[in-house]
Amino acid sequence: MLLIALLLVPVVTAVASFFARRRAAMEALNLAGFGVVFLVAIALAARVLAAGTVSLANGFFYADALSALVVLLTASVALVCSTYSIGYLRDDQQSGALGDDASGEQIAQLRMYYSLTPLFVFSMLFMAVANNLGVMWAAMEITTLVSVFLVTFYGKVTSLEAAWKYAIIGGVGLSMALFGTLVAYYAGRGLTGSAALSGLNWSVLAQHAAQLDKTSMRLAFVLVLMGYGTKAGLAPMHTWKPDAYSEAPVPSAAILSSALLNCALYCLIRFYILTSRCLGAEYPGRLLLLFGLLSMGVSVPFVLVQKNYRRLLAYHTIDHAGIMVTALGLGGALGSLGLMLHMVFHTIAKSLLFLCAGNVSQHFRTDLFSKIKGGVMRAMPLTGVVFLMAMLAIVGMPPFSLFQSEFLIVRAAMVGGHVLTGVLFVLFGTGVFAGALLHIGNLVLGPSGDAPIAPPRPWRNGSLLALASALVVIAFWVPAHLLELVRQAAHVVSGQ
Amino acid sequence: MLMTHVLDLQFGDRIVTLMAALVLVLQIAMVAQRWIVIHIRIFAAQSFFLAMIAATIAWFNHAPHLYVAAALTLVVKVVLVPILFERLVKRMEIHEEIEPIVNGPLSVVIAGALTLVGYVVAESFYRSDEPGLGHNALAVAISLFLIGFFTMINRRKALTQVLALLSLENGLFLAAISLTYGMPMIVELGILFDVLVAAMVLGILVYRIRETFESVDVSRLRRLRG
Repeated sequence: MLLIALLLVPVVTAVASFFARRRAAMEALNLAGFGVVFLVAIALAARVLAAGTVSLANGFFYADALSALVVLLTASVALVCSTYSIGYLRDDQQSGALGDDASGEQIAQLRMYYSLTPLFVFSMLFMAVANNLGVMWAAMEITTLVSVFLVTFYGKVTSLEAAWKYAIIGGVGLSMALFGTLVAYYAGRGLTGSAALSGLNWSVLAQHAAQLDKTSMRLAFVLVLMGYGTKAGLAPMHTWKPDAYSEAPVPSAAILSSALLNCALYCLIRFYILTSRCLGAEYPGRLLLLFGLLSMGVSVPFVLVQKNYRRLLAYHTIDHAGIMVTALGLGGALGSLGLMLHMVFHTIAKSLLFLCAGNVSQHFRTDLFSKIKGGVMRAMPLTGVVFLMAMLAIVGMPPFSLFQSEFLIVRAAMVGGHVLTGVLFVLFGTGVFAGALLHIGNLVLGPSGDAPIAPPRPWRNGSLLALASALVVIAFWVPAHLLELVRQAAHVVSGQ
Repeated sequence: MLMTHVLDLQFGDRIVTLMAALVLVLQIAMVAQRWIVIHIRIFAAQSFFLAMIAATIAWFNHAPHLYVAAALTLVVKVVLVPILFERLVKRMEIHEEIEPIVNGPLSVVIAGALTLVGYVVAESFYRSDEPGLGHNALAVAISLFLIGFFTMINRRKALTQVLALLSLENGLFLAAISLTYGMPMIVELGILFDVLVAAMVLGILVYRIRETFESVDVSRLRRLRG
């Protein structure tokens, strides 16, 4: 019942918004829809905490703590971003970024945004609760197809280029993931019930993981890592990411960089569990460490020399994708716990950063550091403070919680005997710390130009404040239920 | 006489091998092709043989759900996608010649080398103790996948890149039916639906790129750097 509501509400919201005639109706529908989805996600998390797993329709839908956590994070980001986008799109409408009002272009653009976003969220939720690995793949492909249109939203030359890169690189990546899924199915072909639909069900494969064909699983994991790794933006398949994030409307970019990243990692984690149960943790672990450290390393120079703050955030996301994949590669109880905590904290901090960047971008009408120079603090004090705080949080400054999760990951590396990994992790972390903080520090606190003081912006600042207070609160006090969910999700990953 | 053939597994294997070979030949023909419209038609022909392979395997292995996969392939990849793309070509009035980065003869040689790689990789999956159809088909499938990759890199025009992506997906489909006699029904439905939507989405993108740049040469998309 909960699972059906979870999937049905976004679809209904999308259809209703498509047929809505007025802007106010679309805004209200989106807000209400995502509000309900958020409540359902909480209810699902509570049910999973109580019962362990929830499944429906002969195990077609399946949710354990891992899925519930991803669903909860996706739903929270969606709710905050839908609040933010009301203010954001009204501003765009006034400034003429959505085209001509008289010819009905504006309302068509708004309709596209407000009906595509619920569909986008639907595909992510569907992916998280689908038990069948093939269905999970199909849902992931839908996320790409829907979000391509969000990237082309402004119809500029550069946004078409970004969308093309995103669609083609994403398409090739996902075809590799499909190949991997197929090979995994082949690996389990001898098992009971594998001819039926359940042969690709994760829960069935996980039960019989030890009997899967070992050669096939090796190949399957490599293919899946390349495939979903492309979606997660791991180097060297990361090149679409800065383009897509800097061209999409800011609320969509926030969803892409936090919720969609979680979803791609979720798929990777599902296959990691199968592979590590079949072949032992060392084989997938080594591959994951390689890609994770490579992504962290690649992002450092780009963060240091970056000229555009939205692209800076994108490279930052690549760095964090690398951190989380490294944590997964380290595995064990510590690594998994670090991974899950980091996923929660990163989701909050990264979406907050994008929303701040959106405020700055709309006020100063540019994404370049060189044109703004500084003075965000003077022109828009709230955004300035929150921007700086979120940046401090995400580069891992104590007392913010990302420090705890990154510290856990380094500890997992040291305990597990991966000294080189630990050292590189700290080294790359320092590089990103310096680069990101320097740029954003200048942007916020630097000498102010003659930019006017920003008018009050209730929708955007409201969602900013909500996320910021979540970030502060979670630094000192993680709610017991959330912590329990995180622990159980980590338990699903490590099996211990 | 005919009846025994119709039930004989070995005979079925030969038919599948023959058609897989045709599919591979068409893939290589695509690599060397210079005209977009012919490229689209070769893709349609390739998909047609793929559907026939699915139907043959369904017949000889008594896997009725593969008939559905075959029929859907026929509808989506042989009819809908080619019609969609040919219309797009006409509507955009694009210059019909493809200009590959590596020239024709050399790219055929590369495609041949990739086929060899496909056979080497498929060897590790081959099991002599398991009788069945389509072991050659797996080697062909991996080759299709690799050649599709190469074609994508080798093309400048947006639409031909999409066609390469679709032929790469044909390789996947062939792997699916030859490795496992098809994935579960609903998964296959989902995948075909995704292919159709992906073709439409990419088609729309190609059209908009054409409108904005007055060209479908993706090497002109180079504003976003760093």
